[in-house]
Amino acid sequence: MENNREYIISVFTENHPGILFRIASVFLRRKINIESFKVSDSPVKGISLFTIVVLVEEAMARTLVQQINKTVDVLKAGYYTAEGQLSQEVALFKVKKAILRGDTLEQISRRHPLRLLQMNGASRTGNNDGYLILRKSGYKEEIDALRDELKERGLLVELSRSGSIILHRETVEETMNGIL
Amino acid sequence: MENSKKISGAEALLFSLNAEGVDTIFGYPGGTIIPLYDALYVHADKMRHILTRHEQGAVHAAQGFARASGRIGVCIATSGPGATNLLTGIADAAIDSTPIVCITAQVPVNALGTDFFQEADIISMTSPVSKWNYQVTSAAEIPAAIARAFFIAGTGRPGPVVIDVTKNALTEMLDGFSYEKCTELRCYNDHPVIDTAELERATELLNRAERPLLIFGQGIKLSGAERQLREFSERGNIPMASTVLGLSAVPSDHPNFVGMVGMHGNVAPNWLTQNADVILAVGMRFSDRVTGNLKEYAKQAKIIHIDIDASELGRIITPEIAILGDAAEALAAMKRTIEPRDHSEWFAAAAAQREIEEREIITKDLHPTKERLTMGEVIDGVANATKGDAMIVTDVGQHQMEAARYSRYTRTRSLITSGGLGTMGYGLPAAIGAKIALPNREVVLFCGDGGLQMTIQELGTVLEWRVGVKIVLLNNSFLGMVRQWQQLFFERRYSSTPMTNPDFQKIADAYEIPHRRVERREDLAGAIDEMLATSGAYFLEVKVDEEDCVFPMIPGGAALSDIMFNESL
Repeated sequence: MENNREYIISVFTENHPGILFRIASVFLRRKINIESFKVSDSPVKGISLFTIVVLVEEAMARTLVQQINKTVDVLKAGYYTAEGQLSQEVALFKVKKAILRGDTLEQISRRHPLRLLQMNGASRTGNNDGYLILRKSGYKEEIDALRDELKERGLLVELSRSGSIILHRETVEETMNGIL
Repeated sequence: MENSKKISGAEALLFSLNAEGVDTIFGYPGGTIIPLYDALYVHADKMRHILTRHEQGAVHAAQGFARASGRIGVCIATSGPGATNLLTGIADAAIDSTPIVCITAQVPVNALGTDFFQEADIISMTSPVSKWNYQVTSAAEIPAAIARAFFIAGTGRPGPVVIDVTKNALTEMLDGFSYEKCTELRCYNDHPVIDTAELERATELLNRAERPLLIFGQGIKLSGAERQLREFSERGNIPMASTVLGLSAVPSDHPNFVGMVGMHGNVAPNWLTQNADVILAVGMRFSDRVTGNLKEYAKQAKIIHIDIDASELGRIITPEIAILGDAAEALAAMKRTIEPRDHSEWFAAAAAQREIEEREIITKDLHPTKERLTMGEVIDGVANATKGDAMIVTDVGQHQMEAARYSRYTRTRSLITSGGLGTMGYGLPAAIGAKIALPNREVVLFCGDGGLQMTIQELGTVLEWRVGVKIVLLNNSFLGMVRQWQQLFFERRYSSTPMTNPDFQKIADAYEIPHRRVERREDLAGAIDEMLATSGAYFLEVKVDEEDCVFPMIPGGAALSDIMFNESL
C-alpha cells in the first residue's frame, strides 16, 4: 500500500457493447477504487480509448493490464506513470462574483506571486446569475491548487473536471502497429 | 454453406451450430426459447437435443462433453432463471478453461430493461466469468455471432462463451442462410508466436540444471501436447509431475512420471518442487492448491513458465523465463536442444519419497487393516478391474482427491473433475456429457453423498437417454472434506456436515438403474465386476468409513514441505 502511486491505464478497444462493464469488473473484482475513468473516440474510427487512473503498486498495475488485455474486445492496454505522458485536465469553476469584484484573480495572484503560475491558465468563460465561470486546463496538481485556493477564500461554488486527458508519447498508429 | 429458402432466426441458429459440426446439445426449454425448441422439433434429424432435468445439469453436461472429446460443448436455456441457472457452470468452465458455448434466450428487444417476465441481464451477470459474451437482437446477426463464439471458445486458452438471443431474433425471417467460419479477429490473438530466443534460454537453463522438474497442467491436453511432453521428458531425462487437471496426459506408469503436486498431491513431486533447481511449468497456473505458501514455494528453483494465456505469466509467481505460446509447439522446439543428462540421483531421491508415501499413506488407504472400507480401496478396485482404461469423472470433495490419487490412466483426457471452482454437483451431469460424447468409453463417476444430491435429478437424464454411466457413490454420510477440515482445524465441531440421507438404493430403483450397496470388503470386487459387466448405467453405493481423512495434506497456507501424514502431524 505504501508503494501506491498514480498509474494511468490506457486501453484501446473495439467499440462494442459490454466492453465498459468488462473493463470495470477487472477493478471491481480486486476492490480497486478508480480515481478517474474516461472513454472517448480514438483517432481511429470504431476504436475507443479508455483512460483510467488508479492508485496502486506497480505489480498491481501490471496485473490489471494483463487482465484487461485478456478481454477479447481489447486491442491493446498499457500502464504508465503520469510522468511518462502529457496528462492534463480541464476544469470548470463556478465562483462567487460579488467577492471577486473587489478582489480579482489578478489581485489575488499579485498578492501571492507563487500562485501566479497556478492561476495563469484560468480564463473567464461565463458570467451569469451572479457567478463567474472560470475554465482552467493544466496538470491535476495545478487544478487541485486552484480549487483549494478558491475554497479557502470561500469563493468556490461548484467544480467540474474532465478527468485525465492524455497525449501518448507514441502515436495511436504506432501503438496499434501490427494489430490494425 | 448457403441456402436461399426463407428461414427463421431459430433455424439459422440451428444451421449455424450444424455448420460448426455440432450434432448434440444439452438444454431445457422455457417460454422465451420456445421458437428454438420448435425449430429443434422440425429439424430433429439435424440436431440431437438432450433434455436434462435442470439447466445446471445442461451446462455441466456440455462441460463433460467438451472435456472428454476436445470438441466444443453446447447448452441452451431460456431467459431469466434458465439463464441464471447456467452461471455456476460458466464460472467453472472459465476457471478450468473448458470450451463451451451457452445460448440463452432473452426477452424481445423492445422489452429489454423493462423487468419483463423472465428477464435477467445475463450479459452483465456472465461478463466476469465468460471468455466472451454477446447479445444478438436480430436474426441477421446470428450466423456471425455463432461463428465468433466458436472461434473464441475453442482457441487460445479455451473458455465459455455466452450468446444471448432476444426472442424477436429467433422468430424473425431471413432470406436464406449463409455461414462463414470465423478464423481471426484483430482484437484477439488466438495463436501467439513463440519467442524462440526465450525457448533457447529455457533449454540452456534446463541443460545446466542438476535437479530439474517438469510440472504440467491441463494445457497439455488443451494443446494436444501429450506426445511432445513425453518426448521432451524422455530426451532430457526430466521427472514429470502433474496438477490435478493435467492428470492422464501421460500414462500413470510412465517411468518419468512422479505423480500429482499440491495440497493432496503425492509426496515425491511436492518434495521435488521444494528441492528442484529449475522448474519447467507448462500449461498450469500456480493455483494456491498447487503452491501452498508462496513465500516458501520452490525457493531453490528458477522457474520457466510456458502458457498461452499472457495474463498467467507473472501473475502468481515471477518466472525466470516466461514463454507465451502453445505448449505443443514450445515443447517440440525445446526437445531439439534439450540434452540428455543423467539425473539418476534425482530420480532416486524421488523414489525414496515415494516409498515414504507408500509406507505412511498408500498402504493404509489401499490395504487397510480396519473393518470399514476406505474410498481408496474402492477407487483402486475400479482401476484394477478396468486396467486404468476407464474415463474417470468425479464430483468435489474427499472422493475427488482420492479418485485423482488412486485412479490409473492409460489414455489422455481420462479424468474429468472440477478443479478451480470446486463445484459440488458437477460430477453426475459431467459424466453424462462425457458418456454421450464418447459412448464407447467406459465412464465411471465417483461421487459423494453430498455432491450427488446437488444434481441428483440428472438421474432422470440417465433414465431417459439410457446413458451408460457407472455411478460409484462413496457414501460416508458426511460432507467429508468440510468435516475433515473441522476435524483437523476446528476441534471436531462438525457443524452442518453430518448428512441424513435417503435410501439411495430406492432412488436408483425409481430411476430404473441397476444398483447394489456394498458394506463389506469381501463383496467389493464382485460388485465392481458386476457393475462393469452390466451394459448401460449402474449405481454402486459403497458405505465407507465415516471419519476417514484424505492424506497426505498440506494445510491451506502452509508450505509444501509441511506435509501432514495423519491427524497428529
